[in-house]
Amino acid sequence: MKKRILSILCVLAFCLPVIAQNDDTKPQHLAKIPAIDIQTLDGQVFNTANIQNDGKPIIISLWATWCRPCINELMAIADEYEEWVEETGVKLYAISIDDSKTSARVAPFVNGRGWEYTVLLDVNSDFKRAMNVNDVPYLCILNGNGEIVWQHTSYAAGGEEEVYEIIKKMVGK
Amino acid sequence: MRKYLPLIISFLLLFPMTTLFGQHQFGNSRISGDFGFSGMYYMPDSLIGAEKVDSKVRANAFINLLYSNGGFSAGVRYEYYQFPLIDFEKIQYQGQGVRYFFADYKNKFIQVTAGNFYEQFGNGLALRAYEDRQLGIDNSLLGARVKVTPYKGITIKGVWGIERFNFESYLGRRDFVRGLDGEIALGELIPKMQEKGFTTNIGASFVSKFEKADEPINTSLYSGTSSICSAIIPSEKIPQNIPIWATRLNFGYKGFRFDAEFAQKMQDPNVSNDFIYKKGDALFLSATYSMKGFGVAASFIRSDNMDFRSQRMVSQNSWLGINNIPAINRQYSYQLISDYGFASQPNSQIGVQLQVNYKIPKKTKLGGKYGTDLTFNFSRFHNTDQQPVALALEYGTPTGTEGYTSSFFKFGPDLLYQDIGLEISHRFTKSWKWTLAYNFISYNLEILQGHEGMMRGHLVASDLQWKITSKHALHLDLQHLYTKDDDGSHIYGMLEYSISPKWFISIGDDWNYGNPDPSRRLHYFNIAGAFVWNTTRIALNFGKTKEGILCIGGVCRAVPASYGVGLSITTSF
Repeated sequence: MKKRILSILCVLAFCLPVIAQNDDTKPQHLAKIPAIDIQTLDGQVFNTANIQNDGKPIIISLWATWCRPCINELMAIADEYEEWVEETGVKLYAISIDDSKTSARVAPFVNGRGWEYTVLLDVNSDFKRAMNVNDVPYLCILNGNGEIVWQHTSYAAGGEEEVYEIIKKMVGK
Repeated sequence: MRKYLPLIISFLLLFPMTTLFGQHQFGNSRISGDFGFSGMYYMPDSLIGAEKVDSKVRANAFINLLYSNGGFSAGVRYEYYQFPLIDFEKIQYQGQGVRYFFADYKNKFIQVTAGNFYEQFGNGLALRAYEDRQLGIDNSLLGARVKVTPYKGITIKGVWGIERFNFESYLGRRDFVRGLDGEIALGELIPKMQEKGFTTNIGASFVSKFEKADEPINTSLYSGTSSICSAIIPSEKIPQNIPIWATRLNFGYKGFRFDAEFAQKMQDPNVSNDFIYKKGDALFLSATYSMKGFGVAASFIRSDNMDFRSQRMVSQNSWLGINNIPAINRQYSYQLISDYGFASQPNSQIGVQLQVNYKIPKKTKLGGKYGTDLTFNFSRFHNTDQQPVALALEYGTPTGTEGYTSSFFKFGPDLLYQDIGLEISHRFTKSWKWTLAYNFISYNLEILQGHEGMMRGHLVASDLQWKITSKHALHLDLQHLYTKDDDGSHIYGMLEYSISPKWFISIGDDWNYGNPDPSRRLHYFNIAGAFVWNTTRIALNFGKTKEGILCIGGVCRAVPASYGVGLSITTSF
């Protein structure tokens, strides 16, 4: 019993510094997103190296049609998105991790809600895995060079405001 | 202590690595990773049926490390499931060690992977190696994969590998999987098509499983076979190579898209089909149309005798699946119907699914300032029509025969699952948002859960969100399931308070007030809190979990009743 607790503590102890180094004030060599083949909504191959926005900021959201907080987040952003684009030129890539059970319904789902995002499909979670994402919703912000400057997992109402603050700062507004 | 030595050593080795290299990039090299821990302290509760667990403290943990430099990447995952959560122990996902590592090189023309890899051909009817950590599914292949793009728009993939089986050793395995898949994107080849807005892809796959058969099978040990005359299948009658092929087409024009895939499996007597010699087949069709503010999606699936695993004696849902027949019904996240999620039945299912999304436009009388989202859903699944062959009737068992005949588009006599649902989502003001849903669910308890009868229930769910200030929000989730079947009606309430983006706290209760047995009208309460910092999430919860079924994407596993304190940590770096 003691050994078990010990071993579990050991696991935890090793995880803490990992969290500790997750410090966004520390100067870092910024990482680019991995180049992975995923799909467009009409089934064509799309390499994630082609995620770009003419030097302007990019938001990548990993989501799924069965994930309620993901939809809440994308709906909240959708209400403001027009203004975000006008003010900062930002572009949002909503990458769905729906697999073949539900991936065919992503396009009607997105269009039915009138979302203006660029939607892509990661049907076997290859991009999610390469991004080391455990759970959705996951959101990251890339700068004009395609480097990850901020990432976040899970969503609480109002979370989109922090995202917008960061993007405004990036474009100097 | 010696038992834990490998664990401690591995962590001691991994740990400085993560702190040194985490989230860092040196020139073109990048090291990243993620970590997950999920632990629980179990307490017995005889009322809900939470048994005394032999070791009270249990945990699942893993760490992934990835290295990449230009076209080269490599990765390794260490998993520690030596004393796993009890639901993982039930499916024998227990052990520790490295069961995933790979090296990969790619350029414009070729990608070569050695080690473990995940892969999907088409919709997965013939091959899908994937993982779902919450369900304890990881059927990566250990071997090699080559992907070639000889010409723009043409992709060819070849794979060879041994499928992962929990923490069992790969040594001495007598089975492997190999496959070939080709896809042509006509739009890329014929620029004129693309210019006009047409996309058409065609593809085909061929997969073959090898499993040595040098001993006769005494089928009476495995199936419900009572007849003696056909109980033993001699080894020379057991196919060692089992091929499966599939062909697919997808077509798109503007807002319209059509997808089709057909697969056929050759003779594969195995424990899940009572060792019959019938071929299996599956057809998956889907058509969608959407424009701004409106979307409709219809799909059809039929699969018959398509359970396909690396080992013929294995039938447990999460083990050794080579292909994946999708359950195409709409997936819900409502607490009260989580036990009644439809599980894909690869050996016998035929059904349809229809979903319509419509947005009542902004700034209209019905739509209000923000618009109103409507979602309608209908799905219905039956078993396939199966008529026993004469020989099976004569023997009194299908074993060793063709089993049955089945007319292709005929729905079988048993309803497996039906769902009719409507969901309305409306934002009243900047701070108030409401989603209201109604579903009528019919769920075949006998075939899907092994209990008797059919569950027919009405679910009403309300999800109200109040953004108090820009960062503080309240979220109230109320659900009522009205049914006279199974364990009766339930009512559920959950109140969550969040301070964006870091804090969550919630309290909830599921009350089985309508249980036919008054002594079992129990409460299942849950208190939870979570702290999120960038990509790190730490969550603590205390409460009771009802014995039931956890379904993710049409794959389900049993969840035992439990009571206790849980801690989960995930992070990526």
